[in-house]
Parts: sequence; structure tokens; C-alpha cells
Amino acid sequence: MSAHDHAVDGQLPHEPEKATLQARNNILGFWLFLGAETVLFGTLFAAFLALRHNIGDGPSANELFKLPMVFAATMILLTSSLTSVFAVQALHLHKKKAMVGWLIVTILLGLSFLGLEIYEFFEYVHEGHKFTTSAFSSSFYTLVGFHGAHVAFGVVWISLVIGQVLKKGLTVVTAPKVYISAIYWHFIDVVWVFIFTVVYLMGKVG
Amino acid sequence: MSSNHDHAATGNVTKRHKVEGPKKHIVGFVLSLALTIIAFAAVAAGEINTTFTYIILVGMAVVQVFIQMAFWMHMKDRGHLFPIIGIISGAFVVFTMVIMAVYWVWW
Repeated sequence: MSAHDHAVDGQLPHEPEKATLQARNNILGFWLFLGAETVLFGTLFAAFLALRHNIGDGPSANELFKLPMVFAATMILLTSSLTSVFAVQALHLHKKKAMVGWLIVTILLGLSFLGLEIYEFFEYVHEGHKFTTSAFSSSFYTLVGFHGAHVAFGVVWISLVIGQVLKKGLTVVTAPKVYISAIYWHFIDVVWVFIFTVVYLMGKVG
Repeated sequence: MSSNHDHAATGNVTKRHKVEGPKKHIVGFVLSLALTIIAFAAVAAGEINTTFTYIILVGMAVVQVFIQMAFWMHMKDRGHLFPIIGIISGAFVVFTMVIMAVYWVWW
């Protein structure tokens, strides 16, 4: 049974993202990669936690952070996680149009999150919180910036996946790509849960 | 791992699977939303003592991460033994690292 048989006769299996051994191996490999990503972010969190009170001459976390903006960013990312899981559901129902639609909503939400973050960083630099201001500012920009870079990468990745689905249709080859990019997107959201908790809320508390 | 192979090896899987509705994802979303709002409210209120606020914050974050991984990253579905091992190994290294870093710097 080659990968193409499914697509040609229009009979996708129920979970097309797990129909081939290749696909299942890709998903497993991706999870191991996420284990490594967890370690990567863990080191950045460790550095941030260790250095967050060393503010030098710069502003403190409490002076800098504005909760409404962080809350808005959190809601945007949380909602985008929901829309990407809707895309996976549409994938299970073999509804290509609905799936692409949800993926596009996910991308738009990701872009608005990035816009908000860029605006936020501009604000901070204006208030004298530059990358080299203090150990706190360096570790802050490294951690939050790394997360932002992951969001940007996710936006590009999902866009490319959409392009491929539109070109080649929903097959047992393209379905795992949609599924894996959705897993990645959830992972970004999970990391953000720790960022808004550890960086922003704990920063506000002191 | 064997459960991972089962459903793909059999040809007509459609009947054995029920198509999942959006309900559980919306439940996951509402729970995440509630936990997020509790965390923000605890800080915005600003009258609870610091240690207690920290405990609330970390508690909410940990619960929310479990909910999101279970509901949205499909971890509670079958055939996820190896992904769970992968993530737990990562989490193990992370906790060792974070605790050591904070310990070195602050104690």
C-alpha cells in the first residue's frame, strides 16, 4: 500500500496523519525534539530566574510590565491554540477547506501576537530597558525573544504547510505535516504559559 | 508502541473510531482561560502575600500545562507512551537545571 493509494481513490483513513509508518515515526521524532526544546527553554528560564533581580541602573520588572497588554497577548495565543486544534479536527473529518481556514486564523492570531510583542519591546527600549542594560534585561530579551522567534518560525512553517496542502491536496503525506505543525503551535502556547507566569506575573509580584 | 500500529494496520478503521467533537477542546479552552484569569487576578489584586501568590501562580501554570498537553497535544489519546517518555525526560533535565541554577545563585 503506497502512500498515494489513499489519496487517489479519495479514501483517506480516519486519522490520515498516522496512516503510514513514516508519519508515525515523524510524529514520534517530533516529540523527542520537543523534549529537547523543553530543555532549551529550561536553560533560558533558569538563567532568567537566577538573574531577574539584577536590574543594575535599569527599570525593574514591576515598573516595566503592563498587565493588560500581557493579558491580551496571552488571550491571543490561547485562542490560536484552540483554532489550531480545530484545524486538526477538520483534518480528521477530511474537510480541507475548513482546515485551511482554521490554519489561516491561527496564523493571523500568531501575527497579531508578534505585533503586540514587537510594540512591547519598542516601549521597553524607550523606557531604558535595552538588551545590555542589566542582567535582568539581557535574560528577559533572550527568553521572551526566543519564544517570539519560535512564534515567527511557526507562522512561516504553517504558511508553507498550507501552501503544500492547497497544491497537493489532503493526503497521507500532507496530513502529518499539518498535525505536527499544530503540535508545535501548542508547544509554543505551553511555553508562553510559563513565560507569562514566571516573567510577567512573578515580575509584578516582586 | 504496539497500540500505535494497531489501527493503521487494519484497513477499515473508520467504523471503529468515533469522530471526536469540538466539545472537549472547548472544555480545555475554558479551563485554560479560567486558570489564566485566576493567575492574573491574583497578581492584579495585589493584596495577597508574595509567597502565597507565587504558589498560586506556579500551581495554575502547572495545571494549565497538563490540561493543554492532555487535550490539545492529544497526549491522553492512546499510543502516546514514547512522546510522554520524551517530554518527561526533558522535564526532568529542566527541573534539575532550574533548581540548580537558582540554588547556586541565591543560596
